[in-house]
Amino acid sequence: MHGNLQAFSAGFAYPAQTSLIEFTNVTYAYPLPNGGRIAALREISLRIEEGEYVAIVGANGSGKSTLARHLNALLVPDEGRVIVAGLDTRDQAQHATIHRTVGMVFQRPEDQIVASLVEEDVAFGAENMGLPPAEIRARVDEALAMVGMTEQRMRPPHQLSAGQQQRVALAGVLAMRPRCIVFDEATAMLDPAGRHAVRAMMADLHRAGLTIITITHFMEEALDAQRVVVLERGRVALDGSPEMVFADVSLLRTLGLDLPPAAGLAHLLRQHFPALPAGLLTVPALVKALDALPHHAGESPAAPVEPLPVAGPPLIEVRDLGHTYMLGTPLAQRSLEGVTLDIGEGAAHALLGATGSGKSTLMQHLNGLLRPQEGTVRVGEYALHDPKTDVRAVRRMVGLVFQLPETQIFEQYVGDEIAYGPRLQGLLGDSLRQRVRWAMEMVGMGFNAFKDRFTFALSGGEKRKVALASILALRPAVLLLDEPTAGLDPASHREVLAHLQKLKETGMTLVLSSHQMEDVAALTGHVTVLDAGRTVLDGRVCDVFAQGESLRALGLSTPVVTQVVEGLRACGWPLPSGLVSAAALIAVLSQYVLVNGLNGF
Amino acid sequence: MHDFEFLRFVNIGQYLPTGSVIHRLDPRARLVAGFLLLAAITAAPRWTGLVIALVVLLAALLIARIPVGYALKGLLPPLPFIAFLAVVQILFGPRSAAVTPLWTWGPVYVSAAGLLNGALLVLRFAALILALSWLSFCISTAEIVRALDALLAPLTKIGLPTHAFVLMVQVTLRFLPLLALEAERIAKSQASRGAEWGTGRGGLLRRARQALPLLVPLFLTGLQRAENLALAMQARGYQGGKGRTTMMPLRFGSVDAAALALAAILAIVVVCV
Repeated sequence: MHGNLQAFSAGFAYPAQTSLIEFTNVTYAYPLPNGGRIAALREISLRIEEGEYVAIVGANGSGKSTLARHLNALLVPDEGRVIVAGLDTRDQAQHATIHRTVGMVFQRPEDQIVASLVEEDVAFGAENMGLPPAEIRARVDEALAMVGMTEQRMRPPHQLSAGQQQRVALAGVLAMRPRCIVFDEATAMLDPAGRHAVRAMMADLHRAGLTIITITHFMEEALDAQRVVVLERGRVALDGSPEMVFADVSLLRTLGLDLPPAAGLAHLLRQHFPALPAGLLTVPALVKALDALPHHAGESPAAPVEPLPVAGPPLIEVRDLGHTYMLGTPLAQRSLEGVTLDIGEGAAHALLGATGSGKSTLMQHLNGLLRPQEGTVRVGEYALHDPKTDVRAVRRMVGLVFQLPETQIFEQYVGDEIAYGPRLQGLLGDSLRQRVRWAMEMVGMGFNAFKDRFTFALSGGEKRKVALASILALRPAVLLLDEPTAGLDPASHREVLAHLQKLKETGMTLVLSSHQMEDVAALTGHVTVLDAGRTVLDGRVCDVFAQGESLRALGLSTPVVTQVVEGLRACGWPLPSGLVSAAALIAVLSQYVLVNGLNGF
Repeated sequence: MHDFEFLRFVNIGQYLPTGSVIHRLDPRARLVAGFLLLAAITAAPRWTGLVIALVVLLAALLIARIPVGYALKGLLPPLPFIAFLAVVQILFGPRSAAVTPLWTWGPVYVSAAGLLNGALLVLRFAALILALSWLSFCISTAEIVRALDALLAPLTKIGLPTHAFVLMVQVTLRFLPLLALEAERIAKSQASRGAEWGTGRGGLLRRARQALPLLVPLFLTGLQRAENLALAMQARGYQGGKGRTTMMPLRFGSVDAAALALAAILAIVVVCV
């Protein structure tokens, strides 16, 4: 990724006085099937200068993606105009030049790859430019080296991880040598390591002189940028430095956004330790500010204060589970190896691991979608390794919510979609109604307000809740969730988390896999970490997150509270390492920080 | 227990890059040779030709360093279907007064010629399936696309949109595995909601009705993917085949010519013996 970046950017020379991209009173509305139009952008004026690093954030429906598509003439304004490098996007004849000036990496890695071989896909854009073969070859090799995918150049893209596919997509854009790259939620579907790699590349490309525009739901990614533009219902609501945009929490909330996790923690800590300065946005800044507070150190660490996680007698027992996909063919692939796991009744258990570590495979064993090839799986009274066990009974007891479950909705009306499962169980009439009503209320959807709504017309967050309710309607004792909050905007994210918390309190056993460490810390009590199909760490959430070093080596990360504790310990604070919740952190800090010469509250 | 691995033993379409001599030939030579063999097997009138074709295919599998057992497993899924066709052929095949039946029962009628025809049918199908699997083991979809693009290029002179056609083939080939994975995912998800996949129950009508929850999301996500892909292609400056160049122009050497000639001779032998 490094090395040849300087050479890469040296080739450009352009006048600096005009903006690279200039929006003047841009209005755009999507046509509806019934002839109407739905406004997406309203009179947006915006200038993006050469070499800037801009993050565009906003709730679902704020117009972020529509704006992104105007940046390189994929959409053309209804009113107003967009000038890219001096060219008006309304001029069809300039589109080829505009497309090669402003490249774009999209959200779904697998949907933007054209060819069935990595290097041929990287060549696609350069081939469209009509370059001679030798020149294309040189650019492809260079682009692959820049994203670190040279070794994978002869592989089919569908065999790569999502993060690697995203790097291939980026290489395809780089091979066209653009001046600006737009990342349209390019990290939304990636695991922590994949996300980290893409973020590092954005920063490197920016340093090399490219203009970077990133559209994201992750507020901490907006901190990487020099400038943050907040959209709300098609208008620019805020535009400024991250420090300025993230200064007002209540304003952000009304815009459907949130603080970055570290800033959120700092905000909370300030209410207890008013001596902390405002505007702390990152973990290092927060650690430094805490360390600067008057405190006494050197005492023996206080006892861990995290409450003991709830867990009844074991409900799920997995012993020495092994699984191989495509068994008996040359394409056989080992997916699980000797996995042993216990999940207690009423517990909330998280499965962590990079993409391809076997989390999904393990989950599918817990409700009988996969039967053990090796080892045993027992769920309640059902032994899944016994071929005579009725899997339908197991599936009724254990509900599984797949990743992006809203893509599996097939009924026209919300009520029918949620009633599908219970109907198959034989429920009819009033009892069916009651069941659907209960499931909808569990996800905060009013029965009368939503049952006759069209499923396709719902927002992303609402669809996710319908999909969740359609599993809850089976009244499972155990709920398995694969990435339950992936791809949601901050407001929907908060809401889904709150509903899961509520389900946990009803005594439902939750097993979830997530790349969001904050979710795991907030929701679960136990964690199992998988790597290449094996269990590498297993235990209480505070004990597992205390092992930051090992987690990072596995391509994972830790929640911000744990990172702050780690930082303070490195500064010599004798804190216990097993802290994951803000409440516990505040309680512990209060024993050390001196307020007016006294210990904290 | 592997109810959801829909593609486990379907090996047509599975590329195995073993790096053999065959894999190193010009993709056009491989593609044309494969089609010559397929055509010859389809046209071969006598069992001697089909036996020779099977021997040639076994040799070709060995040269391509493909595990023969795995290739043969590909015959298993369509086996009941082929057997059924063979029985129909034997029992209800064309009859003439010149041949004496070995056995009759009402309209059912077995003759020596009928038995031979049934055996020919089984042989022919086995050879066809093996030939198709061999071709897909030895040529990647990327190479098929490049070979087709080069082979069809002359047709653009008479105004046919061959490039658009080849791109269509390419995108289809690229999205098939994705759709298969998607189908598996949706089937699993609906099974978790009580649909009867993987439990081996339900009559024909019930099964047909169960397909709806599978097909609707599959269709919708397919459309969504197509839209995403079109957008991504447009963003990378795709405007049809005009003015496009290619990174790897193909080179047809003497080894390729020799291999193609050998395939042509074998094809003629299969048809003529």
